[in-house]
Order: sequence, then C-alpha cells, then structure tokens
Amino acid sequence: MSAAYRRAPRRAMTAFWNSVAMLVAIVLGFPIYWMLLTTVKSNKDLISQHPTFWPSHFDFSSFSSAMDDNFGANLWNTVVITLGSVFISLAVGLLAALAVARFDFRGRKPFIVAILVVQMVPLLTILVGLLPLLNSTNLYGSVLGVILAYLVFTIPFIIWTLRTYIVGIPVELDEAAMVDGCTKAQAFRRVVLPLLAPGLVSTGVFAWIQAWNEFVMAREILAPAQNKTAMVWLTFFSDTPTHGSDYSGQMAGALIIAAPVIILFTVFQSRLSTGLTAGAVKG
Amino acid sequence: MRGKALPYVFLVPSVVVLGTMMGYPLVRMVMLAFQNMNNYRKFVNPSLVSYVGFDTFSSILHDPLFWQVIRRTLIWTALNVALSMLIAMAIAALLGRISSWARVILITVLLFVWSMPTIVTGTVFRWLFDNAYGVIDYILYLCGGKGMLHHDWFADPNQGLYVVVTSVVVWGALPFLVLALHAGMTQVPTELKEAARVDGASPLQVYRNVTLPILRPLLMITTALSFIWDFQVFNQIWTMRNGAPEQGYWTIGVYLFEQAFDRNRYSDGAVISVAMIVVMMLVLVFYIRQMLRIGDQK
Repeated sequence: MSAAYRRAPRRAMTAFWNSVAMLVAIVLGFPIYWMLLTTVKSNKDLISQHPTFWPSHFDFSSFSSAMDDNFGANLWNTVVITLGSVFISLAVGLLAALAVARFDFRGRKPFIVAILVVQMVPLLTILVGLLPLLNSTNLYGSVLGVILAYLVFTIPFIIWTLRTYIVGIPVELDEAAMVDGCTKAQAFRRVVLPLLAPGLVSTGVFAWIQAWNEFVMAREILAPAQNKTAMVWLTFFSDTPTHGSDYSGQMAGALIIAAPVIILFTVFQSRLSTGLTAGAVKG
Repeated sequence: MRGKALPYVFLVPSVVVLGTMMGYPLVRMVMLAFQNMNNYRKFVNPSLVSYVGFDTFSSILHDPLFWQVIRRTLIWTALNVALSMLIAMAIAALLGRISSWARVILITVLLFVWSMPTIVTGTVFRWLFDNAYGVIDYILYLCGGKGMLHHDWFADPNQGLYVVVTSVVVWGALPFLVLALHAGMTQVPTELKEAARVDGASPLQVYRNVTLPILRPLLMITTALSFIWDFQVFNQIWTMRNGAPEQGYWTIGVYLFEQAFDRNRYSDGAVISVAMIVVMMLVLVFYIRQMLRIGDQK
C-alpha cells in the first residue's frame, strides 16, 4: 500500500514529462509538417489571408509544377555524382581502413591523426585552391570534377568509421581460416568481407547522404555546365522570378530531393545512430 | 617482406586522392593568398598571375568589414553552440524520464529532422518566416502578438541572423546532439544515481555531481563538433537570403564565398580562408587541451 502511495506522484510526473515531450515533438516536427502540407495545398489556400493548418482540399499539382525541364537532368547528375563518389571512396577507404585496423606499421598513428584533422578543414577553404586545379586539368564544369571533389569528405569519413567496424571483427577468425588452408586474401574474401558487409552498407549510406546533400562544391564546380545537381536546382528554382513565389512548387521540389535521404535514414535508422554515437563516445 | 609493405600499398590510393584533391588545393590556396588573382581574367589565364607578397593580407586585415565579420561570426557561433547544447541536454534528460511510447515518437521526429538536407531546411524555414504568408507570423499573431502579422523577419539582419538563421541551425543540430547525449546518459550507471539519491541528494544534485562529470568528455566532443559546424555555416544563410545575403548576414563562410566565388576575388578568398582556419584552430586548440587534461585525470 505504501509503495502504491509513493508511486502515484511519480506516475503524475511521468505524465507531465510525457506531455512536455509531445510538445517538443510537435514544435520540432512542425516545419516538416508545414512542408508536407504546403505541397498539397491549393494556390487559393496558400495566399489566403490567414494560413490554414489543414488544406480545404488536396491539390497535388505542385509536384508537376516543380518538375520543370531541368529537374530530371539535374536529379540524374546528382545520382551519378553520388554513386560515383560513394563507390570510389568505399574502395579507396576500405583499403586504408584495413591497413589502419589490421596492421601495425610505422606512420599508423600520424595517419589516423591526419584523417581526424582533415575532417575539420572547411570545404569552402579547399574549394578556393581546388577550382584553379580543376580549371587547369579541364575538370572545371564536369561531373567527374565534382565526384573527385567529394572524395575529400567521403574518404576520411569512410576510413574513420570502417576502422571501427573492422576492429570489431576478431583477428582470430582470419587466423583460423588460414590454419584451415586459406591464403590471406581468401581469408579476407570468405570470412572478413561477409562480416564487414553491414558496416560497408551503413558507411556507404552515410557517405551517400553527405554527397547527395552537398551544395557549395557542386554549385561552383558545375558553374559553367548546363546541368547542375538537384540541390543547386532547388536554390535556382526559388530564385527565378516565375517560381520565386511558387512556394508549393518549392516545397514539392524540396520534398522530392529530401525523400531519398529520409527513406534511407528511416531504413538504416538504428544502425546509423548507434554507429555515429558509438564513434562520438569513443572519440 | 611482402607483408610489411602491404599496409603501405593499402594506403597509397587514399594518400594519392587526398593529396591531390585536398593537400594540393590547400597549398594552392596559401599560394593564392600571396598572389594577385583577384579577377576571373586571371583565373582563366594563369600567366597573368604574379606574387604580391603580403599586399592582399594587409588590404583584408585593414578592412573594417573583415573584423566586423570575424566578430559577428564568433558571437553568432557562441550563441548557436550554447543554445543547441543547452536545449539538447534538456531534451536528452527529458528522454530519460518519459514512457517508452513517448520516447519512440520523439526520437522518430528527431530522425526526420536529422534527415533533412540543409538546403531544404533553409528553403522550408524561409517559407515559415515569409512576411506575406508565413505561418510563424500568424501563430505569433494568434498568440496575442497583434503587430506580428506580416512582420518582416529579414528586414533587420540582426533579427534575421540571430533569430531566424539561429532557429534553423539549432533545429537542424538538435537530433545528433540529443541522441548522442541521450546515449551517453544511459551509460551512466543507475547504481551510482540510486546511491546518491539514498544519500539524500536532490535530482538536480544527482545530475550535477553524478551525471555531468561522467558526461564531460562527451560534452566536450559534442561542443567542439557544434563549434566546427556552426562556425562555417553557409547553406542555410544562403538559401534563406535567396542566394544574395546582405552584408549584415555575412558570417565568415558567407563572406569567404561572396569574395572568392561571387566576385571571383580568389586571392582575397584565400586570405579569408587562412583567417578562417587560424581562428578555428585557435578555438579548437583550447578544446583539444581540455580534452587531453580530462584524459590525464583518468
């Protein structure tokens, strides 16, 4: 009886904190709700004197107005650039991560420190020297130039996170395989690689998201090119006089561009957050 | 012997790529700081470029605008880091006190916020704060702010930068910070907290004397990361001001972009880049030293 008596105020406190939490969730989620709502609002709703929190009727025309001539080509560019940089950086980064996680060699520590420091350098400062370099190698304005530029942030990230995954796979496993007659390469292919696959996928997904979301480098490197990336398209879309006030179109475009990221994030949710926070806690 | 060379062979691709795409551009950037590449003509025709010594440095360092931007950046960054850390710690603590269904809802919302690209959030928040049809003005009006209807948030850069851009940056930073801090808090042993409570400590005292000391290394790292991100914010300011931020919105990233890429003054941009890296390192050295000191204590 006394226990129940003590628990009552505690339950009231939990109810109180639950409602605070719901209030926080509503405030944090509101901008996303407003974006979704705007895409399905009719123009009449949008320019009504007072904004309404639910559409008077659903109107999906914003999605077709968002897809102007450039959208498809720019989205395709983003896909090519993102996939290109992710696959190159996975291949390059996996080798370096293996070296750092599985071998003890002179220069290992400095390399790890360098990878950490490199992640702090602002992209804008690299871009100042990168543009003249790309210009002198005829990569200025090319999709390949953007892919190579993105390696600057995808490779250090991939080395850093894959390293943690590889360390988590016991060396005894490859040693056992080698005792059973495998060569080092076979042991890697048959034992380590399958175990590493989930790590490769989630690291790749994260690099994918970073490349998909990048804006400044794409904008500047593709300045002379006809087709940009989807992110650059979105900023141009809101700048052009005909589309500048078309907020439902802008929100529809924003949603389409963000959708792949949101979907991947939701699918890989638990892995991404545990992976990142584990990295942050361990430093 | 082959085994000994193997790790170096594995490192070759990444060293080559990072060396050419990052190392060389950084060297080139420093060279540019001492050259006169301040127009597009010289960009496309490098033979016109020559060394001018410290001329670009002295012209930038004597420009009051530069110091104004540095000052604004530091104040704005400090505000954003402080706000996002405080709010994130509060929400992380909240996550530990609520029922599991509420936790699932709140974490789901945080993940959606986390997955929004910065260009998209800039666009969405510009619409939220729109002066003609923006919902924020309307909500404030409903809450009793009679004059807030059709209020133009961006007319005064101080309001635009310190209120609107701050809100979008803090909003976007919260998910990572909250989830990292929440994960850290769940690692604090419950026995320790129970013991302190048995000894008569109030919840606040338990938090201050048990939870915080254990969280300290994590707090250091997340604060340093927030600083790195907020100090170089560009995308949100850029999209909120329609690709042409007024001078009152110039933090160092925007300033660098405007000079180097909008006006093609690459040498000016290089000097600003050097300044940006120097300021960042100065602040981070402080953090790295703090973190080393914490490491020594253990």
